[in-house]
Amino acid sequence: MITGLGVFTAIGKSVPQFRSSLERGEAGIDEVTLFDVSKYPSKIAAQIKNFDPAEYFERRESRRLSRADQFALIAAQEAIRDARIEVDGVAHPEIGVCLGAGAGGMLSAERYHRQLLLNEKERPRPSLLLPFLPSYSTDVVSRRYGLCGPKATITTACSSSATAIGYGADLIKRGYAEVMICGGSDVMSELTFGGFNTLRVVDPEPCKPFDARRMGMSLGEGAAIVILEELDWALGRGIAIYSEFLGYSTVGEAHHMTAPEASGTEQSRAMREAMRASRVRPDEVDYINAHGTGTPLNDRVETLAIKVAFGEKAYSIPVSSIKSMVGHCLGAAGAVEAVSSILSIAFGFIPPTVNYRERDGDCDLDYVPDRSRREPVRTVLSNSFAFGGNCTTLVLRKYD
Amino acid sequence: MTEEIFITGIGVISSIGVGKDHFHIGLREGRDGISEINEFDTNPFRAKKGGMVRGFDAREFIPISKIRKLDRASRMAIAASRLALDDAGLAVTDTNCFETGIILGAGFCGLANSEAFHRGQVMGSFLEMNPMLFPNTVPNAATGNVSIELGIKGVNSTVVQSYCSAEAAMIMACDMLAEGKAEVILTGGVDELSEILFRAYSALTLLSHDHGNGEVSRPYDVHRNGIILGEGAAVVVLERGKHVLRRGVEPYGRILGYSIVGETSPEFAVRDIGRAVKLARGGTPRERTIDYISGAGNSSKGVDEMEARAIKGSFPSDAERPPVSSIKSMMGECLSSGGMRMAANALILREGFIPPTIHYHTPDPGCDLNYVVNRAVERKVRTVLHNGISPGGTYASILLGS
Repeated sequence: MITGLGVFTAIGKSVPQFRSSLERGEAGIDEVTLFDVSKYPSKIAAQIKNFDPAEYFERRESRRLSRADQFALIAAQEAIRDARIEVDGVAHPEIGVCLGAGAGGMLSAERYHRQLLLNEKERPRPSLLLPFLPSYSTDVVSRRYGLCGPKATITTACSSSATAIGYGADLIKRGYAEVMICGGSDVMSELTFGGFNTLRVVDPEPCKPFDARRMGMSLGEGAAIVILEELDWALGRGIAIYSEFLGYSTVGEAHHMTAPEASGTEQSRAMREAMRASRVRPDEVDYINAHGTGTPLNDRVETLAIKVAFGEKAYSIPVSSIKSMVGHCLGAAGAVEAVSSILSIAFGFIPPTVNYRERDGDCDLDYVPDRSRREPVRTVLSNSFAFGGNCTTLVLRKYD
Repeated sequence: MTEEIFITGIGVISSIGVGKDHFHIGLREGRDGISEINEFDTNPFRAKKGGMVRGFDAREFIPISKIRKLDRASRMAIAASRLALDDAGLAVTDTNCFETGIILGAGFCGLANSEAFHRGQVMGSFLEMNPMLFPNTVPNAATGNVSIELGIKGVNSTVVQSYCSAEAAMIMACDMLAEGKAEVILTGGVDELSEILFRAYSALTLLSHDHGNGEVSRPYDVHRNGIILGEGAAVVVLERGKHVLRRGVEPYGRILGYSIVGETSPEFAVRDIGRAVKLARGGTPRERTIDYISGAGNSSKGVDEMEARAIKGSFPSDAERPPVSSIKSMMGECLSSGGMRMAANALILREGFIPPTIHYHTPDPGCDLNYVVNRAVERKVRTVLHNGISPGGTYASILLGS
C-alpha cells in the first residue's frame, strides 16, 4: 500500500505543487545554470531553480551531502511526514530504505576533476569526492531517521528508481520489513548533459514526446519518494491509502546498450510480465504513464510495444509523458513518474503530454495532448526503460 | 525460506588467478595478488600497490570486433559470466533466456569511461568529445553488456551499496528467485581499479601506504594500516532447487539464510552486525554449528575490530566460535569483493579447505578470534557464514550450507 509521497522537482518542490503543475500542464524546462552549457547544442533542461540548501540543512550537514543526497532527504522528509510515520530518534528495524540512483555525487566530482585537469591555482578539495557513491543517498536517509531495516540502492540508469519501488514491495511481501522508503534521486551533471548531447538525442527546444517534430529529450533532475506499507500495518495505524502497488516486472532486452529493440517486442514483454505478475488484464488498464523520452526512436518503439501488448485496446488507453514537463530525471525518473501515477489514481486526473502539436504516423495513440483530463483512474502502468536494455514496468491500482 | 536456492556455478577473473582452477589454487596457496601497479603512473601518490588483474585476455571470451567497444569492467564481467555458466553446465537459449536473470554489484563501474569522457568535455570542443565513451559511463554498463553478450533476457538489475554491493546484489537475486521471477540468476560483483579511482582514494587518504610497516593488506594484524584496492569480477550462478534437480547437477552449496540491514547509529554498529547474523541464521536450528566465517576484515583499523567484536557477540563461547579468515589479504578491498568471497565459499564447501589470512604476523588484542593465518587448513566445511561490513552503515550476512 502506498501511504506517503514526497517529491522535489523543477515543476514542484512539494507534492501539492507538483500535482498542480501536472494538472495545469506546466513545464519546468528552462535555461541550465548549474554548469556551463555554452559548448552544447542544447542549453535547456528541467533544472531545479532557486534551491538554497540552507533552507533545508544546517551548513555543517549540507557540506557533506551531494545535491542528490539533499534532494533525497527533502523528498523523504515530506513523504515520512505525509505518512505520519513517527521517527522519534528510536531505531526502526521494521522500516527499510531502497532507492534508485544515478549520478550521485558526480557534480562535485566533476568540479574536482576540472580543477585537477586545468591545474587551477586552487587545489581541489578531496572532500568533494566524499559523497560520490550513489548508495550514499540511501545511507543518509536510513541514518537520519534510524531506519535500520533492509537496504539497497539500484543503479540501472533510467529505470533505477522504478525497480527500487518494485524491489521494496518484494521486501515487504517477503516479510523483511513492514514499511519501505522507496524511490530515488538524481541530479544533472555535465557528464550526462554532454553525453546525451554527443549522442544527438537532446532536443535544443523543450522536448515534445510522441510529436512528429520531436528531436530528442530534455534532461531533468529531482527526487521522489513513496512510502510502501504492509496492508495490515497501514490499517492498524489508520493511515489513509493513496493506492495499491500491485506488481512490476524488470527484464533485459539483451539487444543494445543504448537503443531499444526496434520491433517493440522486448518492451511489450516488460508490460505483459508486469500485468501477469499483478493479475491485471490489458482491458483493465486505464492509463499508461509512458517512458516517452521524446527521442525519435524511443517514442516510436514504445508506441509499437504498447500496441503489441494491448492490441486494438491500445488506441483507447490514454498514454502520456510527464517528461514533457519535468524533463528526464534519469535515476529519479521512475519514482517521479510513479508519484505522478499515484496522484492520477488518488485525485482522478491524467496529466498531459505538453508541446504536442503534430501527429506522427508512427505514433498514433491518444497522448493526452496539452491539457490534463479529469477522469477516474483505477489502474495505471508506468514504464521506465534504460541504458543496458533494462525495462521496468510498475502496476498501480486504486485501493478499495 | 520458501524456495531452496543453490550455487551451481562460479566464474572468476581475479588478481590471484583467472578461472576457477587458478583461483582455487591461489586460495589454497595463499597467493598474494597485490603488487606494484605498473598499469598507470603512481608517482603522484604515496600508495603504490593494488590487486590488479593480470594475465586476463579478453579475446578468449569476447569476439575481437566487440572488445573495442567495451570498458574493462564489462570485459571482466562478460568473461566471469561465461565461465560461471560453463561451470554450471548451462547455456542461455531462446527458450530459457526469459527465466535467466542477471543482478551484479557494481564497484565503480562506469567511472573509467566517465573520467575519459569528462576529460574530453573539459579539454576539448563539443565535436572533440567521444560519444562512444558515454554509454559505458553508467554503473549498470557491465550488467547490461553481459546480458547483451550472453542473451540474458530475464530479471536485470545492478546494485551499489558501498562495500556491501555484491552482497546486496546476491541477496536481491535470492529474493527474485524466491519470488519465482527467475529460475537461474547470475549474480556477484565486478570492480575496476582505474587510475582515477586510485587517485580519489589516495586524495581521501583511505589507502595503506608504506610508513614503516609496509604497504600490505594484513587484516587482523596489529600493524595493519589501511586498505589496498583490488579489482576483478566474480559471478556465481544461483538456481532454484527444482531446476537443479531437473538438470541433475551437483551444486556447490545451498543458501540457508541471508540478511542485509541498515545501522541504528554508528555506536551500535557491532550490535547491528550481530542483528544481520542472527537474521541470516534465523531459518536454521540454533544448534547448527558454523564451520567457517568468511571475514569482511579489510586491513583497516575500524572494520577488522568491529567484526571481531560482532563475532564474539554472536558466538559468546570460545568453544562454538568458528575459524575466521579474510581473503582480502590476498586480493585487497573493493566495493564488490563479496562476489569474489562468495566464489571462494563455493570452493571451500566443495573442496574442503579454509583459505588463510596472509601476511599475518602480530596479533592485535582488539582482534582476538580464531584466525586461520598464512597457511590454508584442510578441513571439511559444511557451513559458511559470509559477513559484509560497510562503514557507510550497511551490514550483510549470508549463510551457506553444503
